[in-house]
Amino acid sequence: MEKRELENRISDYFDGLLSPAEVAAFEKRLSTDNDFRTEVDEFKVLFEAIKQEKKEIPSKQLAKNFEKMLQQEKSNQVKVVALASKDNGRFQYLKIAASIALLIGVFLVGRYSAQRASNHSLMAAQQEVLEYKEATLISLLGNESASKRIQGVQLVEEFDRPDEDIVGALGEKMLSDENTNVRLSAMEALSKFSYSDQVKVFFIQALETEENPSIQVALIEILGQLQEKKAVGPMKKLLEKEDTQPFIKKEINNVLPKII
Amino acid sequence: MSANQLTDEEIMAQVAADDLDVLRILFDRHHVHVYNFLYKMSGDSMLSEDLTQDVFYKVIKYRTSYNNGSFISWLFTIARNSLNSHFTRKKVMHSDLETVKYRLGEEEKEEEYSHLHKALNQLEASDRELVILNRFQGIKYQELAEMMDSTPGAVKTKMSRALKKLKNIYLQTI
Amino acid sequence: MKRTITTVLLLLTIGLCKAQTDYSKSLSGVEWVKITSKSNVTVMVHDKNEILIKGTQKARSSEKAKGLRLVGVGGTVNTNVGFNVVQEGNDLIVTNLRKNESAKIYLPKNQKIAVTSTWNGGISIDGFNNEVEATCELNGGMMLNNISGPLTANTLNGQIDVIFDNISQGSPTSLNSTNGAIDVSLPGNTGADISMSSWNGDMYSNFDIKSSSGDNGLRKVSSRKTNGTINGGGVSISLKSTNGNIYLRKN
Repeated sequence: MEKRELENRISDYFDGLLSPAEVAAFEKRLSTDNDFRTEVDEFKVLFEAIKQEKKEIPSKQLAKNFEKMLQQEKSNQVKVVALASKDNGRFQYLKIAASIALLIGVFLVGRYSAQRASNHSLMAAQQEVLEYKEATLISLLGNESASKRIQGVQLVEEFDRPDEDIVGALGEKMLSDENTNVRLSAMEALSKFSYSDQVKVFFIQALETEENPSIQVALIEILGQLQEKKAVGPMKKLLEKEDTQPFIKKEINNVLPKII
Repeated sequence: MSANQLTDEEIMAQVAADDLDVLRILFDRHHVHVYNFLYKMSGDSMLSEDLTQDVFYKVIKYRTSYNNGSFISWLFTIARNSLNSHFTRKKVMHSDLETVKYRLGEEEKEEEYSHLHKALNQLEASDRELVILNRFQGIKYQELAEMMDSTPGAVKTKMSRALKKLKNIYLQTI
Repeated sequence: MKRTITTVLLLLTIGLCKAQTDYSKSLSGVEWVKITSKSNVTVMVHDKNEILIKGTQKARSSEKAKGLRLVGVGGTVNTNVGFNVVQEGNDLIVTNLRKNESAKIYLPKNQKIAVTSTWNGGISIDGFNNEVEATCELNGGMMLNNISGPLTANTLNGQIDVIFDNISQGSPTSLNSTNGAIDVSLPGNTGADISMSSWNGDMYSNFDIKSSSGDNGLRKVSSRKTNGTINGGGVSISLKSTNGNIYLRKN
């Protein structure tokens, strides 16, 4: 067995996952190679420390809160059918049935508190779905694959009004993702929310730092449409820069008079 | 057969079928593990309690999306996502363009950290996560590969490197 | 003892070098192979789970350089073919340090690859059925054949030519070019959500994109933006050019 192979097997050895033949080869190496032996001994110390590491116990409050939450969820248990946003006639019957089930459920569970509980649970369910989508979106934005990061960006379409966390995450992608396609798709996703001040600030920042001409021209176009005065400074700077592509300078000259 | 002798997957299937009471068994079995994972990653005991609570809340809310695979993988996937969301939200709020770092000393905490915990904290978050899930929580390479959308081989390689780094840091600073 | 063995191995290696100048390395544990080159790169498929870099065609290095390693921007050569190859985590980073010589690289067909040409090189990729990221940062176009995607491709001053033999529905495919045309062929029954835009060029397609009325034949679609679905919709495919035409063809 190669040395690198053996090094990768050290934890398997301690976990008892090696075959008898592999164990033999491993132990043979141990007895002949001093450096390897030292390495393995060091790992032994580490693994022992891990084994001995004290398990943290959470406070009693955690179990209490869990119990409280469980009771709440049990009492909220009415059939909630996720209302499809793009529906066709097929879902009509389901929706009606769901509404009836909802009403019956409410009636059966009790009066005042049940009424509150069921309304709350419908909104809460929808809210939870959104939060889950948000977590997925943000998680995808950090993926090693550019295609998956773009997938994350495209998820913003599922939000009517994305919150500032999502907008912030997209803005960060537009400004600093290493892949041009990801930055461009983030920019396009954000342009649907260009009424937001947060987004405008991101666009202006991007204009100051973006070097790819395709993204530059898209930014110039949208900042022109928004008549964003704060973009004038960065645009003028781009005009003065020697390496700005001619068609970009042309576009800036088209757009500037409309803003100033 | 008492519910206590059922596997995690069998119990979760019951929860998914709206028998919420049996979730208590899964809570009893696993909440300390989830808490420890979150604590080792974040160093913040209060946060870890809140997030543990959040994880089990999500187990209920998303019970119908449980796909009968390894319960532990699913549970820890939710835990990872919760942790990520929390820190990304924090980072985004501070408009900090650095990569997400979970570092001790970000908050003023009166916590005493073990030497091993401090050594772990020197690792990159993604390495730390792997080490904790595999060496502390006993999650196998196959499950880790599914959770991280990777291959067991790739996970194993990353883990070897991470463990080697950890070993060196741990021993150097003893 | 060790030194003698090392010396013998060294001599053997040198001997082998003279006979065969290819480089290969196992890809076990490697999730992404990331290739960077100043000049042309050709990446093709072979059956082994290893990377194979074809040796140089140039005459052997000069007498003066004997015994010395080629130093390039981005690292020193640590292979016998003018490349620097290093594994970082699950990524294999492969850098062509030779200035004017193209690179010919073989990889297994399900390998995820990211290829970047940083100067005047074109990129040619053939036969992969996993994720591909391809970037021509300055001058150079790219040609991709028999791939499945997902594909994330970008050129500055160069054309993008792609023939998909089928297209992955797993995650988006996006092709962007600043100064250059985009020419894509897809199987006729591909289901996709298409988004095409050309800032200063025209778009043509013989697909029935469900947001405009259609007849067959390559017809001019619009000169700005088109969003629609083909075959009922599916994975997101985005084709964007700033100064260039876009052609979307049925295979």
